[in-house]
Amino acid sequence: MDLSITFHKDWSQDFLKRLDEDGPWTKWELYTLALEAQKHLAVPDFLGLQAPNHLPQLTFLPHQLQVAKTVIEKMNGKAILADEVGLGKTIEAGLIMKEYMIRGLAKKVLILVPASLVLQWTGELNQKFFIPAVAQKKSYVWEQCEVVVSSIDTAKRQPHRDIVLNQEYDLVVIDEAHKLKNKNTKNYEFVQHLKKKFCLLLTATPVQNRVEEIFNLVSLLKPGHLGSRENFDKDFREDQHSLKNEEKLKQLVNKVMVRNRREETGLKWPKRIVKTIPITLSESERALYERITELKELPYFARSKFSVLTLQREACSSREACFLTLKNMLEKNEGAGADIIVPVMQQIEHVTQNSKALETLALIKEIGDKVIVFTEYRATQLYLQWFLQQHGISSVPFRGGFKRSKKDYMTYLFKNNAQVLIATEAGGEGINLQFCQHIINYDLPWNPMRIEQRIGRIHRIGQKGDVHIYNFATENTIEERIVNLLYNKINLFESVIGELDEILAKFELKNIESYISDIMLHSETEGEMKVKMDNLASLINLEGGIQKKGWEEHAAARDS
Amino acid sequence: MQQHEIHDFLERYFEANDCEVLERRPASMKIKLSIEIDKLLMNRPFYWHYLEKTGGTPQPMTLSLATGQQAGDGTEEFIHFGSPRLHQIFASTQKLGSFIRMYEKVEHHNGSNIALHPWLCVNMKTSYMCDQKKDRITSHGIHLINGTILDQFHERLQQRPLSRSIPDYCYTLSPFIKPMSGLKRIESLIEEQISCDDHTWADDARRRWQEDQELLDRFYEDQAQKPECYEVEKEALRTQYEPRIEVTCINGGLFYLSDSFPST
Repeated sequence: MDLSITFHKDWSQDFLKRLDEDGPWTKWELYTLALEAQKHLAVPDFLGLQAPNHLPQLTFLPHQLQVAKTVIEKMNGKAILADEVGLGKTIEAGLIMKEYMIRGLAKKVLILVPASLVLQWTGELNQKFFIPAVAQKKSYVWEQCEVVVSSIDTAKRQPHRDIVLNQEYDLVVIDEAHKLKNKNTKNYEFVQHLKKKFCLLLTATPVQNRVEEIFNLVSLLKPGHLGSRENFDKDFREDQHSLKNEEKLKQLVNKVMVRNRREETGLKWPKRIVKTIPITLSESERALYERITELKELPYFARSKFSVLTLQREACSSREACFLTLKNMLEKNEGAGADIIVPVMQQIEHVTQNSKALETLALIKEIGDKVIVFTEYRATQLYLQWFLQQHGISSVPFRGGFKRSKKDYMTYLFKNNAQVLIATEAGGEGINLQFCQHIINYDLPWNPMRIEQRIGRIHRIGQKGDVHIYNFATENTIEERIVNLLYNKINLFESVIGELDEILAKFELKNIESYISDIMLHSETEGEMKVKMDNLASLINLEGGIQKKGWEEHAAARDS
Repeated sequence: MQQHEIHDFLERYFEANDCEVLERRPASMKIKLSIEIDKLLMNRPFYWHYLEKTGGTPQPMTLSLATGQQAGDGTEEFIHFGSPRLHQIFASTQKLGSFIRMYEKVEHHNGSNIALHPWLCVNMKTSYMCDQKKDRITSHGIHLINGTILDQFHERLQQRPLSRSIPDYCYTLSPFIKPMSGLKRIESLIEEQISCDDHTWADDARRRWQEDQELLDRFYEDQAQKPECYEVEKEALRTQYEPRIEVTCINGGLFYLSDSFPST
């Protein structure tokens, strides 16, 4: 047997000294307690999880425990954790980390997360898992602290880079790992050079689009698992975009990736009750919308038809949003086109009411409970806050650009003091608002993934009641068409996030937003546009195989 | 470890360390710490340094601990198996309870003096490590005159009344075997026992290591001059998988026992 056995000598040396000096000797009770403590801490078996015993105040869901077991016992501690949004990837990572630490297999741990999440991770590891994680602030932290949380952007920069690459990490955890899909980036190269025994890559969107992205991610975790670059191409690549031997590749990837889907978890998810609310424009609003639509025909806009689309969408949101865009346009072109733009700006002043805002107000009053209003535009956000305040409704703003502490504060205010949270698009990520049950999609993003992220803030584990989603659709505008396509024809709300994600990836439709813009811009007639939209819908529906699953209530609610 | 076991453990710990139990309830306790335990647990070296410099009256802190099924009203520190405080206390037992010397309390009969035999006892933790890990705790004692080695030694000791000082009318026999040689003999025995163990776990770990190494080699097969990444990863695979066994001594010491030991 060529197994190395090490006998640690610390005790015997100290013991020798005490023999020489005749003590000091401990009491029998303390001696017994010391042995008992070690018996409690000893790990009885290679397999199984010890961590749940150490975390009695946390209730783990069955799939989370299963993930931890699989990663440790079958994947040897190198895995891509790719559960769908809301299933608790952070919890899984914390559980695995804790297990390795209890077993003494991990002491030095590095956790790389987006800068905005550093404090959240640090807090959760300390409070939930009793892992003494430290947010990296000073450069001595790298060497002196055992568990360090940092952003990858900090870690990869000098003087940190050299220090970090010099550490021997037992475990490296990387959140939002899909950002490492490109091997020609500094981030990728940095992670590749880290000395790491165990490694967890967390992502909700693992196989986003290109073939080489999955190759790069897996090769970071376990180089060679998908072969060398050359072999991989030979074995799996058909051409630029498509794969062959897909089943085999899937099998290989599944050896290093765990992915739970909501419906497989067997958890009882709150119901989603979706309602589309038609908005009728007032006369003055309609006039503005038509005026903007006509801009498309002008030579001035020939090369920027996209901005007309934007203006149309903004006209459905608020005159403030519209005005801001026109003003910026004017400034950017240094006054050129003023003869066209200024009259439109003047027309904006003739708009007497905001029909959507009025509907929002009525709906919020009717709900009489916490409501999140999502809008795409900051100008609308500001206007709404003012408007609601005029009618005695308290609201707090929320934006992606807020610092973490401000986000937390706004969440706190929303929970305790305000009835309404008004969020712009980017405000959706990284924050849990499951104490709220109502979302108003004041205007809708054209990318279905983003709407899922919005809903994901409240439709998650921990939500006690049903989730109500109200989609506003301004009649006879492009907005109504989009709502019809994305949210009625594709049955978005009946599908689940992971599915949609994979389907969009499969069809290279990640950029569905520009695809839709394209249809809007380049269709000569209403009829042509309708045909193209129908084609897109059936492509996603049929080929993508979205099936109607769960949440049947939705259909009923929509039809009523 | 169940909550009632924790409660019991803590109570014994504080009492053994001369801390005053101010309040004792089924699921909570209030403890006035001793100076020594305050220094070990409360992490306030500046206070103690200041006190020593100024010669003030020491004010050790009071701990209120909740040991029920859930956290109390917030005035008490909730102790459960994962709480840092318990692990701090566990760790402190290593400092406080590592070395011992005890004598068997022998019933004295007919006037003749009683000889006590020297034994060395060590409680060891053997850790089997690769990318997975398991521990085994053993307790061995060696008779330092005739070299007899017994296992389950701690359990055997628990059957005997022991005293910190030598009982009246007793005397100790001098060891022939030095304690350090005794320890070496126990280590050899453990080594021997380990070699007879089933080591499928180590073979499995080596196989996993081999597999990953082959993948790594394949990844870089086209490159005659292997890049730095290759070496970093190769070394990481070794530290991840290489099976190894580590034996550490938890605690131990000398026990002077009557010749009726181990059988009664």
